[in-house]
Amino acid sequence: MKIDCTIDGKALSLSINSNKPLSLILEEDIQNSSLNSHCNGQMCGFCTVLMNGKAVLSCLIPAFEIRGKSIITFEGYAKTKNAKDIEKAYDLTHLKPCPSCYNSRTLIIESLLSNNLTAKEDIIREMEMLKCHCLEFNDMVRIVQAASEIRRKRHARRA
Amino acid sequence: MLEGLRSPNIHTPVNLSEFSSIIQHYPTSTYWAGGTYIMSRSDYYPSNTTNDEIIFLGSIEELHRFQRNDRIAEFGSMVSLYDLIYTGRSILPKILIENIQDIGGNIVTARMTLGGSLCTREFRSSLCGTLSLFDASCEVKYMKKKRMHSKWFPMISIYDKSGKLNLPDKALISRIRVNLMERNYQRFIRKGDFFLDQENSVSIAITGNPEQDNFNDARIAITYPNKGFISNHDLDNIFSSARFPLDQDESKSIEDAILSAVSAIFPSLSKLQKTRTRGIIKEIISDLNINALTTASFDEAKTNI
Ligand SMILES: Cc1cc2nc3c(=O)[nH]c(=O)nc-3n(C[C@H](O)[C@H](O)[C@H](O)COP(=O)(O)OP(=O)(O)OC[C@H]3O[C@@H](n4cnc5c(N)ncnc54)[C@H](O)[C@@H]3O)c2cc1C
Repeated sequence: MKIDCTIDGKALSLSINSNKPLSLILEEDIQNSSLNSHCNGQMCGFCTVLMNGKAVLSCLIPAFEIRGKSIITFEGYAKTKNAKDIEKAYDLTHLKPCPSCYNSRTLIIESLLSNNLTAKEDIIREMEMLKCHCLEFNDMVRIVQAASEIRRKRHARRA
Repeated sequence: MLEGLRSPNIHTPVNLSEFSSIIQHYPTSTYWAGGTYIMSRSDYYPSNTTNDEIIFLGSIEELHRFQRNDRIAEFGSMVSLYDLIYTGRSILPKILIENIQDIGGNIVTARMTLGGSLCTREFRSSLCGTLSLFDASCEVKYMKKKRMHSKWFPMISIYDKSGKLNLPDKALISRIRVNLMERNYQRFIRKGDFFLDQENSVSIAITGNPEQDNFNDARIAITYPNKGFISNHDLDNIFSSARFPLDQDESKSIEDAILSAVSAIFPSLSKLQKTRTRGIIKEIISDLNINALTTASFDEAKTNI
């Protein structure tokens, strides 16, 4: 099946099986190295990407659903200004995710920030999904709230 | 593309009449809702057994509708669990919201649909039990003599006595209706990982109206993900005929009665499932005991004044 989509800002036309999971497309067809796992939908959370700005588990997205969509992986996201807000929040709070979950956790934080979900319960519920215990829930709340403040200030300066 | 692996044809009807003409042409198609269950099967990809025809339900406009009045809320089967709690937060029973939040965060519940949650064949979602407490009903569309028919059924009747899905082949659930009943006591308790440790998990949803030593309008549903769910009047009566607070012996006899009712339907429950069921019942009884004692002392205080 021919599928047109945008991955990390690049318009692509892929010839792939219609039901192939996005996580495998990224690893095998795009050679993207920013995903850490392929758990076959057992929800380890390590294959998170942004699809049209929302965090999704790429192992639960079939090829036919990415048609016409914009996918951002950590590789593409890391170069953006938004990513810098979150990096600053890690520095400011002296809290940093471990290398295994860093990419996915950062993208989940981005999804929380861009959807204005910064209440403690929302943060915890989203973060609970990642099967990695390198950070305490309260620490994650601190990171997200710091990142939200950094972003708010940046937008205020720009305005 | 992988050599020798077929790439299924994806049909994306945009309305129900298009859907019915596609299903007539391709009667063995697989229905695809959020795909979370389908894609989490260990043999999902690569696989030589994948169906050649997939009907993606996500573009069918009618299946995304939501409407309500004072007594009922009605959802299209493609409404996601995330949308269900965000559009329905102010009207839906608290226990339903708690159940969905228990299933996962927004990232996954935004993909899972109401229809998909009811129609997984080898897995029973905790949602089925909870919905049954509110006399949920489903609109089922099915082909008969080359024509699409449609009929509302009580949700409980699309499952057999042991909670296994019992829909006619290729039937489509198009709408789900929930009665909006007021219940003062609502609790959802799950033990074990429903998806990753199905053998050992259980969830119980219970609602009712505690009044002094009675537990009126008791409704209870017990779900075992690898088996099915049970929700019936006999089970409800065990609770509604009890007088609270219960002492230890009375409490134990309720636990025993419930365990024997569930074991009669699910004889192969694991030891941990039984222990966990008993533990949850204990927790609920303790809740209802506290409730009975506090209302009793409140009533006493009122008469003393
Ligand atoms: C990682 C993970 C964790 C989970 N944890 C939990 C949990 O804690 N508790 C819990 O209860 N559940 C849990 N689940 C299961 C979850 O409830 C189901 O995967 C989900 O509800 C299925 O919905 P879907 O829209 O993705 O369905 P799909 O995967 O698209 O479909 C599921 C089945 O239903 C059929 N179908 C879909 N829609 C219809 C329709 N309208 N009419 C007829 N047939 C239809 C499909 O053909 C398929 O056979 C978990 C799942 C995953 C992947």
